Amino acid sequence: MPLPVLLDLVVTDTSAATPGADPAPVGLAAADAIAAAAQAVGVTALRLLDGVPGRLGVDPTVVAGYLAGRHAGLGYLVDLPTTGNAPYNAARRVLSLDRAASGRAGVVLRPGAGDEVSDAAVPDPAASDPVERWTEYAWILGRLWESFPRTALLGDQERALVVDDALVREIAHTGRFYRVAGPLDGPSSVQGRPVLVAADLDVLDWAAIAVSADVVSVSREQAPGADAALTAALDRVGRSRVDVALVGRTAVAPVDAGRAGAVAGELDGWVDADRLDGLELQVGGDPAEIAATLRALVPQLVPQLVPQLVPQLVAPGRADGPGGDGLRASLGLRASLGLPAVAGVLA
Amino acid sequence: MSAPVSGQLHLNVNILNAGVFGGSWRFPGTDALASYSIEHYTSIARKAEAAKLDAVFLADGPVLDPATRHRTGNNLEPTTVLARIAGQTERIGLVATLSSSYNDPVELARRIGDLDHVSGGRVGWNVVTTAGAVAAANFGRAGEPDHGLRYRRAAAFVAQVVAAWDARTELVSPQGRPVVVQAGGSTDGRRLAARVGEVIFSAEQDVAAARAFRAELRRGAVAFGRDPDEIVVLPGLSTVLGSTEAEARVRRELLDELLPDAYARGRLAGQLGISLEGLRDDRPVPLDLLPEPDEAGGSQTFYRLVREIIVRERPTLGALLRKLSGGAGHRIVVGTPEQVADDVETWFRSGAADGFNVMPDVLPSGFDDFADHLVPELRRRGLFRTDYTGTTLRHHLGLGLPAAPVRVPDREPLEAAR
Repeated sequence: MPLPVLLDLVVTDTSAATPGADPAPVGLAAADAIAAAAQAVGVTALRLLDGVPGRLGVDPTVVAGYLAGRHAGLGYLVDLPTTGNAPYNAARRVLSLDRAASGRAGVVLRPGAGDEVSDAAVPDPAASDPVERWTEYAWILGRLWESFPRTALLGDQERALVVDDALVREIAHTGRFYRVAGPLDGPSSVQGRPVLVAADLDVLDWAAIAVSADVVSVSREQAPGADAALTAALDRVGRSRVDVALVGRTAVAPVDAGRAGAVAGELDGWVDADRLDGLELQVGGDPAEIAATLRALVPQLVPQLVPQLVPQLVAPGRADGPGGDGLRASLGLRASLGLPAVAGVLA
Repeated sequence: MSAPVSGQLHLNVNILNAGVFGGSWRFPGTDALASYSIEHYTSIARKAEAAKLDAVFLADGPVLDPATRHRTGNNLEPTTVLARIAGQTERIGLVATLSSSYNDPVELARRIGDLDHVSGGRVGWNVVTTAGAVAAANFGRAGEPDHGLRYRRAAAFVAQVVAAWDARTELVSPQGRPVVVQAGGSTDGRRLAARVGEVIFSAEQDVAAARAFRAELRRGAVAFGRDPDEIVVLPGLSTVLGSTEAEARVRRELLDELLPDAYARGRLAGQLGISLEGLRDDRPVPLDLLPEPDEAGGSQTFYRLVREIIVRERPTLGALLRKLSGGAGHRIVVGTPEQVADDVETWFRSGAADGFNVMPDVLPSGFDDFADHLVPELRRRGLFRTDYTGTTLRHHLGLGLPAAPVRVPDREPLEAAR
């Protein structure tokens, strides 16, 4: 399969440029053109960031909703902080996006603080650790996304049954930060549930990530040893390394066709050295340079010949590589097989 | 006295999943599950834009409607749906319902404001306080917050959000700021509407009551220092159209037949807040079961509406269920395009409405009939635009940009109802 490639994008007001930032913020029309170029060269997904340091961009879920209807071949990962978002609302919004995008969406859950609504009813007023909050939040998202399976939709006009509600389940979650009843109002997406990405290794730890993440995004500095640490952490919670894609995040200066080969070679070397499953590119320059860089660079990245999994560690019948439709499959992940049951993770 | 209505009327289409009737999704020729796909919403929006409507409207609550077993429910989050519609249309207004009880005001202000920017100034926000214990449980609460508290929070919440939009220097709105829409028929709701609402949805049943409601709102707005012409009142209007009157009646009767009985009884019990166990279909609902409207929990608007029908008309339970037909209780008009246009014209010209929030009986077929047959009839009468003259929702609605409401000092954090 092709090497999964994510492209970071910040959409903001063109009237107020932020020079020197990686990725460079672009206006909506430029984002539309970059999305077209990205789709044409086989970029797997756009990661829509919340902003650049010190400056918010357009809400990523709004940008994703807008672009997903115009570029259906791309995946969309939206940055969403715990801050300001009650988990039920976040779960709904991301699943709606995923369903609208035919199972090609996910969320980069950013650790942070709480929201006004949840804070007023917090089960444990002493709870404050952002890693613990993130862990609980990610757990709730996963449960909510599977609370209304697609198979429950019947649409049986003869018997007047829209939904087999025996298959739709409350999650009845009570943790230290949140209490959420569920279920969600809409059915799961064609990829099972949206992809959940962890990208804040400076805040989060491997134990937290291993419980719920489908994708881990690491910087150049974080990449060495990440594969081994992730594998060990997954093992401790009964998950397999094939359940999670490790993606290397890096800034890329604008390149033309002439220099693209060298840059691609360096990136391929990094993928091999740190056992990465994909790349996340933060391309600098103006919108035309970003599009030109994608055209020059992405086709030269070496396809992943062998998925980064060790067959003997995978249970028989589950080692058949990517499955299902949507973003999950494009990232080399298996079809959603239901959430791992991780006992004792959440008190 | 209500001011005379002049000019042209305003029309929104409420894309209420499969249609307003409880049996809509079972109507012959209807894809039962179409309302669970995004294309259902984008295609109706494109049709609405071709018909030059003011806006599409999405009702919403952060909850799975317990009645979903027997009828389709709202199932996609409105801002993600409208962002997608924004990318596929150019003029049609986009009105999203979001709860003031269950959102964070900073986050909501940003998201709606950004959607407004991305859409080129076409967004409205329908403020709801969200009734019911089932929704409350998704946000850590054992029961719904008290009705008065919900509305106190809503007033302060709206003021904070509008102030945030007003203070923007980046990602500014081409229409100044999003339009604030409100739909409360309760005493608390009317006060909120008069204070902050720019478009007011109502659920009035007859023209005299609607005229009085509109006049009261306008007086209330003046009392809050507002220009009454900066308010657009849009009663809900459920339409059942046929090329002949007989055809329309047959369609209406068929919708009654398709209404799942268990759903209709469950919904009415929920609206009235009482159990219908043991009540017979051939007897009227006992009046002594019904609390006073201001003492009812949940949605007082629709409680009040149904209670009035029970008190005024004393229908049998069976007749009441058929009359509501699984809808919320909005007014239903059945007839040919000419007959429905007569009704619309009467309401509009008598000062009962500035236009309508249209809830077609079945989607998309009922809206196709509305756009293809009723809209041209309204145009022939000079009542509706032949083309857009502007690009923003404020422009379509004839609304200016009044000063942002003054921040309310009594804002309290939402108390957890435990």
